[in-house]
Amino acid sequence: MATTSRAVVIGAGMSGLVSAIRLRQAGMDVTLVTKGIGGIQLGQGTIDVLGYVPERVLNDPLAAVTAHGEAHPHHPYATLGADDVRAAAEFLQDLLPGTFVGDLSRNYLLPTAIGALRPTALPQASMADGECTPGKNMVFVGLRQMKDFWPELVAGNVARTELPGGGRVSTRFAWLDLPAREGEVDSTPLNYARALDDLAYRKRFIAALKKVVHPGESVGLPGVLGLADADAFADIAAQLGQPVFEIPTIPPSVPGMRVNDRLTLMAKRARVRVVLGSPVLCANTDGKRITSVTVGTTGHPTDYAADHVVFAPGGFESGGIEMDSYGKVSEPALGLPLWVPEGELVLADHTAEQPLFSVGVRFDHDMRVLDSADEVVHDNLHVAGGILAGASRWREKSGEGIALASAVRAADAILESVEVLEGANHA
Amino acid sequence: MRTIDTDVVVIGGGATGAGVVRDVAMRGYRTVLVDRADLAQGTTGRYHGLLHSGGRYVVSDPRSATECAEENVILTRIHADAVETTGGLFVSTPGDDPEFPDRFLAGATAAKVPAEEISVTQALRREPRLNPGIWRAFAVQDGSVDGWQMTWGAATSAREHGAQILPYHEVTGIERDGEQVRQVRTHDHKTGEDVTIDCTFVINCGGPWSGLIAGLAGCHDVEVVPGRGIMIAMNHRLVNTVVNRCIYPTDGDILVPVHTVSIIGTTDVKAPDADRLSIPADEVQEMLDSGEALVPGFRESRAVHAWAGARPLVKDTRVSATDTRHMSRGMSILDHHERDGLKGLLTITGGKLTTYRLMAQNVVDEMCEQLGDRRPCRTAEEAVPKSESGKTYVVTHRLEEREKDRLDDQIICECELMNRKMYLEEMHGRPNANLDDIRRLTRLGMGPCQGGFCSSRAAGLALHEDLVDVERASGLMELFLKNRWIGLWPILYGAQVRQTALDQWIFSGTLDIDHLPEPEQAVL
Repeated sequence: MATTSRAVVIGAGMSGLVSAIRLRQAGMDVTLVTKGIGGIQLGQGTIDVLGYVPERVLNDPLAAVTAHGEAHPHHPYATLGADDVRAAAEFLQDLLPGTFVGDLSRNYLLPTAIGALRPTALPQASMADGECTPGKNMVFVGLRQMKDFWPELVAGNVARTELPGGGRVSTRFAWLDLPAREGEVDSTPLNYARALDDLAYRKRFIAALKKVVHPGESVGLPGVLGLADADAFADIAAQLGQPVFEIPTIPPSVPGMRVNDRLTLMAKRARVRVVLGSPVLCANTDGKRITSVTVGTTGHPTDYAADHVVFAPGGFESGGIEMDSYGKVSEPALGLPLWVPEGELVLADHTAEQPLFSVGVRFDHDMRVLDSADEVVHDNLHVAGGILAGASRWREKSGEGIALASAVRAADAILESVEVLEGANHA
Repeated sequence: MRTIDTDVVVIGGGATGAGVVRDVAMRGYRTVLVDRADLAQGTTGRYHGLLHSGGRYVVSDPRSATECAEENVILTRIHADAVETTGGLFVSTPGDDPEFPDRFLAGATAAKVPAEEISVTQALRREPRLNPGIWRAFAVQDGSVDGWQMTWGAATSAREHGAQILPYHEVTGIERDGEQVRQVRTHDHKTGEDVTIDCTFVINCGGPWSGLIAGLAGCHDVEVVPGRGIMIAMNHRLVNTVVNRCIYPTDGDILVPVHTVSIIGTTDVKAPDADRLSIPADEVQEMLDSGEALVPGFRESRAVHAWAGARPLVKDTRVSATDTRHMSRGMSILDHHERDGLKGLLTITGGKLTTYRLMAQNVVDEMCEQLGDRRPCRTAEEAVPKSESGKTYVVTHRLEEREKDRLDDQIICECELMNRKMYLEEMHGRPNANLDDIRRLTRLGMGPCQGGFCSSRAAGLALHEDLVDVERASGLMELFLKNRWIGLWPILYGAQVRQTALDQWIFSGTLDIDHLPEPEQAVL
């Protein structure tokens, strides 16, 4: 491959980081431009593939991906297939060995921080013992100084939930009164995670925990079991001597932060050039190709020359798509055409799926943006992640599956096009 | 079934009802206030928060203007903790009626409403975001007032004078003994219990619902036209002074800074049903355009919530029934003895939040006269509890408080700086409250996140304190989010879309709230 091939990746969420790393591993010169820290830490830190269609998916989520794509032509899974999801998930698991468990043959059913049972394909290893099976005994342990995890609520709701196929989990709750930092009464999960990275604190924490748990119980804690120390969870489980699991909390989510930190570090170590705090202002084109991306860096705009661009800015939650006060939706950075579902975008029924959040860009299997006439908009622009049209990522629990599959497809399409070009040159 | 024996039943827990029950109690009667929902949940809580200087009415309704000016001074004294003395401006924007400002100034002088012309430069210095094209400006003594806090202040004062306050008690019947009212029957929605209240007098303060209430006593054809107005809260104090357009009263002519937001209002459309008030998209657009006229760039700032309220306007055949703004806003008292031959029932409707105390005084004076029992009104003299110091509210009060106690207590609602202690005080005081009941007292969930971060905390904490069981805790959280959505979806654009996407990610995505087990009974 020509080493001068330059890719600019826009966005630092799951798809931006993963595509940047994949392109860099293939030897490409990669610049990752991002307005801020990516969205991984806003979520639960597991790899969702497909959890609801809208019925709960328990077995074979990849088969559900295929069926869902066939039934919903506007859904990203209509273009990205089960094979793409599998390849992408394997790529991530290779990048972060030991972080996730599962093999995509089934979804895990894990309690959330309000005690609902949530399906996910690849939980973090630190969450796996939270799997709800009939007859299991669980104790949920709250931390007095942390306000985003109420063990009574989790224990109560898990206990009153009939499991799929029948049966229930027996639950109980307990509290630990051990400040993350001395004298602190209002601690975030992050404070606890940092405290638990410290071996001396960890020891005290486990000693206190042992006093409130009973033998034979699986111990559910909020998602705080270490941040920088990748071995924290395994150490805590070994010292406690019984199953323990963590439950992701509302943002800032430590399990998400863990994935974000590791992927970001990996990208930097691989010499991906990360330009943080800089919004993309526009793309400069020559015909149907983008030649450079203009970025609003401090003091003056900077042009980053690009042979290839991966655009992964996220959806509405990240500012990747906007709606103005007249109800007009737009993609503010590059002005890409958006697919908008028919009918009202915002519904009065709060339980309804809001069509607004399925607005996004349409794309082909090379992740190139399509306009309303199915024409490719830019030959060397590839999209990934939350900006893709047609999904209800949060409700159907498909966010990471779509992000990963599209990121890997985008990177591979770029690498394939370079090979084609090189092949032509050699000929 | 439970029975209460009292002298006077006050029906309706808006500002008027709370003012009446306070006045009745302070004059030494035994009294009970009932409302089918929470206090100040109807019209009182659904307005823009303006404490009128009277300026708004100096041309259209001088008598109301004078009353407002007088009551403004009284309320600022007796409800200090609910009032922010922001001051107000009347400004002429480009294209406004060139003759109105002189009429305004003459009207203000005649109605004894303090108003002083200031230069455009002074006005812009005071409120730099104002439209630089304004061409005249007048300073008045407008303020802003928290309608919930004011109503609860009056109700708490009434309690201290012996009154009973019974929210969520819906009136199901008003019984008579021949020509005399003798009993009010109610149903307690929170407990499911029927409560019968024996009495000799009833004062109907039902606002837009007062016609229905009078009907329960067999007094028909009390026609109250609900005039629906929408309001939009913007996520910042775009102005720190109440800004009025100096024109004849019309739609979208007021921007009021209240607590951490500023509120634009309002429209006025005859509504068929005060229980079903819509927030139509065209009226939202009209409000945003009006905002642009006062503060350029208004549309680019963030709308955080919208609501609709129903003005209770007594039908007056002198004006067209579709034009509710120009009907009498003055108060009217219906004497049902004279009108329907029923002794011991008065209905009071109309009026404004700013004149609620005066309305109460007038109707209680009338009651005393009918009872042949002249007892003087003292409500203007005594401050309500928590307002005794006379120190009015400023927007930074909570910041100051949290800076003092943030190392000792958890903040449950970061947007509104409400801590655990504040929440639990209210929750322990009203263990069957829902989170909206608590919101009206504490501003829980009223900030930018609209419940995204605080509602699971509030639900979990209520369960932790054994105030509710797990089913109710979960139901409270779901109900709160459902109710927040009512005021969110009509104004969903700009930065609030991004916030809402994050909230959906949290609740639907991370917490999977859609798949909690269904509660066996509806949560109220």
